[in-house]
Amino acid sequence: MAKLSRDDVLKLARLARIDLTEQEVETYANELSEILQYVEQLSTVDVEGLKPTNQVTGLKNVMRKDEVIDYGYAPEKLLENAPSVEKSQLKVKRMIG
Amino acid sequence: MSNEDIRNQYTVAIGIECHVQLKTKTKLFSGANNDARAAAPNTLVNHIDFGLPGALPVLNEKAVELATKAAFALDTKPQLFSKFDRKHYFYPDLPMGYQITQFDEPIVLGGHVDIIVDGEKRRIGITRAHLEADAGKSTHPVGSDYSLVDLNRAGTPLLEIVSEPDMHSSAEAKAYAHELYLRMRYADVSDANLYYGNMRFDVNVSVSKTDELGTRTETKNLNSFKSVEKSVEYEVARQIELLEKGQPIIQETRGWDDAKLKTFSQRSKEDAHDYRYMPDPDLPPVTLEESYIREIEKSMPDLPDDYRKAFDGIGLTGAVSEDILATPVIAKMVMRAISFGAEHAKRIAFWLMQPQSEEPEGEDVVVDVDVEKLVALSEMVGENKLSSTAAKEVLSDMLKSGEDPEKIAESKNLIQVSDEGAMAEIVTQVLADNAKAAEDVKNGEMKAIGFLVGQVMKASQGKANPALATQLIKKQLGI
Repeated sequence: MAKLSRDDVLKLARLARIDLTEQEVETYANELSEILQYVEQLSTVDVEGLKPTNQVTGLKNVMRKDEVIDYGYAPEKLLENAPSVEKSQLKVKRMIG
Repeated sequence: MSNEDIRNQYTVAIGIECHVQLKTKTKLFSGANNDARAAAPNTLVNHIDFGLPGALPVLNEKAVELATKAAFALDTKPQLFSKFDRKHYFYPDLPMGYQITQFDEPIVLGGHVDIIVDGEKRRIGITRAHLEADAGKSTHPVGSDYSLVDLNRAGTPLLEIVSEPDMHSSAEAKAYAHELYLRMRYADVSDANLYYGNMRFDVNVSVSKTDELGTRTETKNLNSFKSVEKSVEYEVARQIELLEKGQPIIQETRGWDDAKLKTFSQRSKEDAHDYRYMPDPDLPPVTLEESYIREIEKSMPDLPDDYRKAFDGIGLTGAVSEDILATPVIAKMVMRAISFGAEHAKRIAFWLMQPQSEEPEGEDVVVDVDVEKLVALSEMVGENKLSSTAAKEVLSDMLKSGEDPEKIAESKNLIQVSDEGAMAEIVTQVLADNAKAAEDVKNGEMKAIGFLVGQVMKASQGKANPALATQLIKKQLGI
């Protein structure tokens, strides 16, 4: 597998909402490429006829009744985790509108 | 070439994605109360809705039941196997950084919705319908440089119904949206209250001169049938104009300005999302038993087409039938009245039917009266005990008080005189008092007979049966 390009790294950073310095772009291009090369070993395994696995618990139909549950977390407590709050709402950088 | 001719060279293709808010008490993956209409911001929330690390979502079984009902309302069955996936994107109203939705194994695949436009039936294919959690609600205080986020709506269960690009005009798009609304409402899947955003439409439009689909745009978040119709009209005209000028259509998301009746560009191409879907490891898959599906099928309420068929059977068709359907409580009452006879059902339908605004809004109409009482009232009209005007008076009283129609009619002194002897005396008197008019009628001037009937009604204080009065006048005048 070829080395990740500068554009690949910048795209990943954008998707992950991370700001990278020029130096970091270079560093991660190398490190991520190495990780990918390592994972690339998986492509040598013969998976013919195997279904993709995305659950390993064997559970199915784990559901709850449609009834209100009091989990014991007061809204004020939850809001304490937010960096900024105004009138019981989360205050964020302005979106469109 | 005229604009019309240019327009006709293009084929329009429209596909609609509709988010239907499911009628559950709690959210899709948490036990928070789901009725955010009157709640103060961030009061119907918990650690799951806030997306705190380690919070474990657990699926609401009612949402699965309602999706199963929706499948039947879309003329298909739910999938025996479905699963949940994470759709990643960053937005301030999405606390977890991903939306839980269904990607490659949705709960509904296939189905269709029939619509009638210009008297012609058209079948619109359904691609799929999947369960997903709604995001929070953001507001943007005027003059400020920030937005506020309320997570009461975060996690509300939605069923996203995706159609094939089978519609070819704004009228078809509107008819489809409306039919979907009726079906979700009658299937009891959603309150389908457009005012509260219980149904939101994303409309994909493209135009093409060839058999291939053109580049499409998606106008998002339409919340009325009219905006679906108008946005399609606007987009079709805009796209054709661009192509005629030799300019390309940019595949993009557009918003809708309800005041200017225009779409506008919202998200540019370089922001095109890369959602990195992956199966949600926190949520085991859903498998439905055949017996469960059969149980739900048996419990399905009558759907709009069942009503249409029944109404058609008693001679209520087309626009009248649709007007009755617009108010489910009335449609259900008319349906029940059918077992008492077509004559009664029809009369009750016309009594209860009210002028419908084009956009259903606000609270449901309440008609709190037994169908038996309505039938009793109808029987009184059928037996000429009540004039149709008097019946309406009794009806309006009955809807308020719930009293028996006979009692109301008697207390209001509205029972018609159909006793021939008593009527004959009144007629004799009226003819004597109005000799000129009587003479005119005798000489063939039938117009005057209406005047005489009116006089009989007046003399009887409105209680005379007009048909009998007419008959007696003719008899006494020897015509």
